[in-house]
Amino acid sequence: MAHPTESVSLQDKNYFLVRRLHSLLGLVPVGAFLCVHLLTNATILAPGEAGGEFQKSIERIHALGPLLVPVEVVFIFLPLLFHSLLGFQIVFNSQSNAQQYRYGSNLRYTAQRTTGILAFLFIFYHIWQMHWFGKPVGGGAFELHGAAGAATGAMTTAVAIQQAWWIAPVYAIGVLSCVFHLANGLWTSLITWGITIRPESQRVAGYVCAAFGLVLAIAGMGALSGFRTFDVKSPPPVVTDGHADVTSHGH
Amino acid sequence: MSKSFTVTIQRQDDPHSPKYSESFEIPYEPGLNMTTVLQRIAATPVTSDNKSSTPVAYDSCCLEEICGACTMVINGRVRQACSALIDNVLEESAGAIDVKPMSKFPVVRDLVVNRKAMFESLKRVKAWVKVDGYHDLGSGPRVSPHEQEDAYPLSKCMTCGCCVEACPQFNDKSPFIGPAAVSQAILFNANPTGKIDRDERLEVLAGPGGIADCGNSQNCVKVCPKDIPLTDSIAKAGRDTTLYKFRQFFGR
Ligand code: HEM
Ligand code: HEM
Ligand code: SF4
Ligand code: SF4
Ligand code: FES
Repeated sequence: MAHPTESVSLQDKNYFLVRRLHSLLGLVPVGAFLCVHLLTNATILAPGEAGGEFQKSIERIHALGPLLVPVEVVFIFLPLLFHSLLGFQIVFNSQSNAQQYRYGSNLRYTAQRTTGILAFLFIFYHIWQMHWFGKPVGGGAFELHGAAGAATGAMTTAVAIQQAWWIAPVYAIGVLSCVFHLANGLWTSLITWGITIRPESQRVAGYVCAAFGLVLAIAGMGALSGFRTFDVKSPPPVVTDGHADVTSHGH
Repeated sequence: MSKSFTVTIQRQDDPHSPKYSESFEIPYEPGLNMTTVLQRIAATPVTSDNKSSTPVAYDSCCLEEICGACTMVINGRVRQACSALIDNVLEESAGAIDVKPMSKFPVVRDLVVNRKAMFESLKRVKAWVKVDGYHDLGSGPRVSPHEQEDAYPLSKCMTCGCCVEACPQFNDKSPFIGPAAVSQAILFNANPTGKIDRDERLEVLAGPGGIADCGNSQNCVKVCPKDIPLTDSIAKAGRDTTLYKFRQFFGR
């Protein structure tokens, strides 16, 4: 950074605001996005036409048309970037001692930092791989209607995940890191904002957050196994006007 | 043959000289504590390999876990030497005891550290009740038994440094004032007279080194020898600073 002292003092002046923004953005929109995203992806397991339900939900999102990119940037990428950059600063200024004091809460403290870094690496790779942003640099596998209209979004996602044996395990680690980070972050945010104060209420909140994380982990792992076992070799659905036939099957 | 055990101590002759380690063989007796062991070493400062050494410097005062002066890291866990019973300590690590000074404070000599940083933090949060003279002010405001019950546990803090030693957020890279000072700010904010400086304390808690620098590892509450509900104070500080900043933002 060109003026480290200046930027530090600017952060110092707004210390509270910056840190509360970090907490808030972790919850909404980033945490909320994670929930919606994993549940959407889990629709790959829905009965009926393979990937049909997933295709419908993806198309609902892409119905935003030209607004999609600004919405993605303002509601996903910028908040994520802010949370991540400050997150890295927090990680570098902490001195984990989980080896020495092996309390559950201290292990979770260290895990919150480790999963934050894993989440960052995973999301970086994931966006490169899936989002068309990654196209110029060799990624961008996801296509709403498939290359040359030959496949569905589900198909292209599945192909990307099945490309190599190590991709699914990397996704498993990435998804579980994000989920733990959000569920544990939800628990700490309740303390940060002073909502759970006494140990008893923090214990109850712990169970609730664990259950929340478990549901999200099941959705994420379900989605992953859905895409990993998706049949990418069977003939692609009939295509009319560049729209996969699956969308008209529900009627 | 009588039983004995080994105590390995991290030593340092003065703040600027290097650390080194020395072991001492101590004959076992029931009912020893860490301070008596250090007294035994002072009486015959001869190391395990039969070299003559110097007494190990340590702090102590009350000898009953009241003053906090004798805090050190025994077998990797921070605690008071005077209340660390050797019978229990030996159970953790069969036959050998490892002793180090606290790592978050500058070493003065051997096991003696300078806890000035903690007192500076207390000054920053004005951990006191203001009086405007030494004349008789009459009796103070009434405090309900309920308020007393909340305040008493917090008032037991002896600024020993255990919580700060175990806190991953209290270190050279972070400006964090530490859990003890956060808790004292909450104690004096609850006091009917201390309330006068409430906003000034909240301003410090909302600033650099304040409550936002806690990372909720909750080590502090687990190592506090006085069982002070530090995490309650931390969450209250989170709530009170939020409300304070909201009030400030909307011009109260
Ligand atoms: C089961 C695992 C996952 C699958 C199958 C999956 C699939 C996809 C697909 C197909 C896209 C492209 C969508 C489009 O361009 O419209 C995408 C985008 C994205 N994914 Fe994932 N994802 C998974 C897990 C995650 C996780 C754990 C995160 C962490 C936050 C994440 C964050 C994102 C982001 C930020 C984008 C770009 C924003 C967007 O397109 O809306 N994904 N994902
Ligand atoms: C999947 C995307 C992410 C989500 C949903 C998320 C969510 C959260 C939430 C809800 C919190 C709790 C805030 C609080 O305690 O008040 C949090 C804390 C934290 N996050 Fe993230 N986060 C994400 C990505 C990241 C990344 C990429 C990093 C980078 C290293 C990171 C680093 C941290 C750190 C260090 C904390 C602890 C903050 C503290 O103790 O004050 N997070 N996150
Ligand atoms: S809060 Fe407990 S551990 Fe911390 S200084 Fe006070 S007495 Fe020691
Ligand atoms: S809860 Fe906060 S103050 Fe207590 S040890 Fe953890 S980080 Fe430090
Ligand atoms: S000598 Fe006072 S606490 Fe040990």
